[in-house]
Amino acid sequence: MRAVLSLIIFLPLIGAVICTLLPKSRLTWPRWVAVGFSAADLALVAWVVAKFAPEGGRQFAESAVWVPQLNINYTLGVDGISITMLVLSALITFLAVIASWKVEKKPAFYFTMLLLLEVGMNGAFLALDFILFYLFWELVLVPMYFLIAQWGGPRRAYAALKFFLYTLFGSIFMLVGIVILYVHFGTFDMIRLVELGRTLPVDLQWWLFLLFFLGFAVKVPIWPLHTWLPDAHVEAPTAASAILAGVLLKMGLYGFLRVSLPVLPDAFMQWQWFLAVLAVISIIYGAAVAFAQTDIKKLVAYSSISHMGFAMLAIAAANVIGLDAALAISFSHGLISAMLFLMVGMIYDRAHTREIAELSGIAGKMPVIGGLLVFASIASVGVPGLSGFVGEFLALLGAWGSGLSYWFVIIALVGVLLGAIYMLSMVRRVAFGVPSIAIAEALDASKREIFTVAPLVVLIVLIGIDWNLLIRYVDPAARALMKLLEA
Amino acid sequence: MSGYALMIPEILLLVGALVALFAELLPGGDRSAAWIGTLAATSAAVFAALTPVGATTPFGDLLVFDGPARFARVSIAVLTAIWMLWTVGRGQGRIREGVALALFASLGAMLMSEARELITVLVALELATIPAYILIGYRRADARSLEGALKYFLLSILATLVTLYGFSFLYGLTGVTRYAGLDMSRLGTLGLVAAVLSLVGMFAKLSAAPFHYWAPDAYEGSSAWAVAFVSTVPKIAGAVAIVRLAYAVAPGLAPVGAVLAVVAGASMLLGNLGALNQTDVRRLMAYSAVAHTGYLLLGIVVISTFGMSATVFYVVAYAFASMGIMLVSAEEGPLLSDFNGLAQKRPATAWGVVVLLLSLIGIPPMVGFFGKLYLFTAALRSGQLVLVIIAVVMSVVSAGYYLRIVRAMFFGEAVASGHALARSRTRSLALALCVVAAVALGIAAGPVFGAIGSFLP
Repeated sequence: MRAVLSLIIFLPLIGAVICTLLPKSRLTWPRWVAVGFSAADLALVAWVVAKFAPEGGRQFAESAVWVPQLNINYTLGVDGISITMLVLSALITFLAVIASWKVEKKPAFYFTMLLLLEVGMNGAFLALDFILFYLFWELVLVPMYFLIAQWGGPRRAYAALKFFLYTLFGSIFMLVGIVILYVHFGTFDMIRLVELGRTLPVDLQWWLFLLFFLGFAVKVPIWPLHTWLPDAHVEAPTAASAILAGVLLKMGLYGFLRVSLPVLPDAFMQWQWFLAVLAVISIIYGAAVAFAQTDIKKLVAYSSISHMGFAMLAIAAANVIGLDAALAISFSHGLISAMLFLMVGMIYDRAHTREIAELSGIAGKMPVIGGLLVFASIASVGVPGLSGFVGEFLALLGAWGSGLSYWFVIIALVGVLLGAIYMLSMVRRVAFGVPSIAIAEALDASKREIFTVAPLVVLIVLIGIDWNLLIRYVDPAARALMKLLEA
Repeated sequence: MSGYALMIPEILLLVGALVALFAELLPGGDRSAAWIGTLAATSAAVFAALTPVGATTPFGDLLVFDGPARFARVSIAVLTAIWMLWTVGRGQGRIREGVALALFASLGAMLMSEARELITVLVALELATIPAYILIGYRRADARSLEGALKYFLLSILATLVTLYGFSFLYGLTGVTRYAGLDMSRLGTLGLVAAVLSLVGMFAKLSAAPFHYWAPDAYEGSSAWAVAFVSTVPKIAGAVAIVRLAYAVAPGLAPVGAVLAVVAGASMLLGNLGALNQTDVRRLMAYSAVAHTGYLLLGIVVISTFGMSATVFYVVAYAFASMGIMLVSAEEGPLLSDFNGLAQKRPATAWGVVVLLLSLIGIPPMVGFFGKLYLFTAALRSGQLVLVIIAVVMSVVSAGYYLRIVRAMFFGEAVASGHALARSRTRSLALALCVVAAVALGIAAGPVFGAIGSFLP
């Protein structure tokens, strides 16, 4: 299969087109189309993973000329940085489709948007031409805007607009950075620019770093550019929240690893301390604000900010362990946060409230949902034996061994502790005790719901037990990145 | 090819206009007039596309047939044809004069984009804009329409006079009226005054800040149908004309670049901020037109062939989107609230408008993105980082108000407005053409930009 990556990107697009063309009266057809196409896409990704050689660098490359006047090409490829992200994108989209089984409001429109979202995410992780990358990066905004604005909560219009404008604000600065690189080197080829970028004078690199930083930091999001995230998460429908936390935030980290670090290495080293400062602020701030939340979904949203802080600290460490950690956190947080949002969605479907005070005794009334919630929370805390531990442990290790001050690690450790406290106190209040009125009539998880989270549970446990499942893919990529940095 | 053969598109438009004027004598009356307009504009587009680039210039070198001219002529003709096609579907009332006026304006616009001589460009400019005054005031019974038309007329005439004043200086100083002979490099301050006066008139025509105040009132008073034409076709011509003029006067006159930069920055700021709180789609689009004028001046600020081509590319990208949105507004009603619930009533149209709006914001793969990419590249190549940052921040602001239209369409409660026209196939086709153009020109941005080529001296 020569064009397998193109197929992975555009298969969901075909599904999306079919969804819009289905007769409006057939409410159940769109979801079958969406399941079919997202499952096929996942299968293709699995095939690529099976054929992928971790030590082999960039694979499955495709290239074609697109806009010769500006030297824009249609270039795709997958390497150790992108392969885990690709798995995440395909897996979480598939699960999000299944989690959306009961969507009855305009199902054709809804599943079209989900599939379109997958096109953008897959494309962003596979594109190796800057303009192509930017195209997919921006493409993600449109379906997410509609998902939030059409199927979201009461303040959905505000949240959707805020999401769109914030991320557009960031990405358009990134575009300026891309164009400046092009003006200097006459190419949008992300691979060529890794070789060329370092030849730029340091002060120009410094400014370029700032431009790219704005694009990526908004997406991650790093404090203080995070304010769109709680609004978007709380208002978004369950599946969109899961994708947002599971995949979209990783696009920001991916950008740091793909662009900021390798293309602008000198500037990166100058900005290192700044990234680390923002990272630990994000860790502590996210945890502290999560602490104060009475809404379980907001709590999970703010905990994402805290966890993304760990990933940023790991990137700022700029050593092999740190980069391993950043990639591991990206993948693991993708699984765990998606699972948490799916659990919150299941609870909300039954209780019609997300107030922690009104939800108690879930484990007693609904043992399966309660058990899964406890599992996801513990995984999020970073208990050894589950995937969350791998990344956070390596992040702290990496930061300790880097040129950064030890204080960063110590403050981050406080964040770990805070994380454990707010997560476990939430679990204690929600899962245990006397069942509240809100869930008195509730039924336990259906087979479909268990199927939705089962793959996540399996992966979280497997990676937690055998780190190598994940690290063997990301480590060669991290080493290659470091080699560039040291060169 | 002899001189007159090169002018076939213009001649077709002229004949079409004259026939349309007497359409009451034809079977079908006003509807036939619109069909004649469609036919004339379509065939003009075909012949304009067939014109060889760099053909021997007729009439003593007054006109030039280079790549940008061909691109502008084809775009002008295609947009006119789309507008005519929509007008066929409107199918009621007295439209034959409207058709004839639009064809005259289109003819003027074509000449304007070819002219490289001061008097020719002025005559073409008047031919392009005088019909536009009348179109803006087309609803004679409506006092607001007349007020808008009067404002437009007075400001536009004033602008013409300023331009003419500037031109007279240019002629007086250099003794030539042809761009080819205009050598400004040794004229000093007086030359700068001449150049700036000439450009100021052009700025006002293009509704660039700070000469933009007439546009929102004129557009609001007028029917969206007229705005769809007036805000697009003459604008393409104006952009090409100002590019040629700047190319002629700016080399050797560095301060002209500064003037252009200030006007570009002010237009982006005032246009976008002005559009934020508008509740009338025509006013909103008028302010956004000011903003887009600011963007397209980015390409002219530093006189480079690439930047000039980028400007021409961008104005066409803008024109298709603006035409489509104003035509939908002409069907649904002029207010933002008239767009409420459009996604339920007419999902295909609503999605079409989304595509056009995304193109205006600059989201790939729509043509507006490539327009901005070319402009930013041109500006950054010459170190205009501040202007690009303004453009970038203002693009986000523009997303704020464009998304208000999306929000109205998808999440607003539909109310029967009473304005809405019954459906028509020709009108749907006209809208579809705008949307297809916004996507296709984006996907084919490379070849299209290549076809613009470079400006002949």
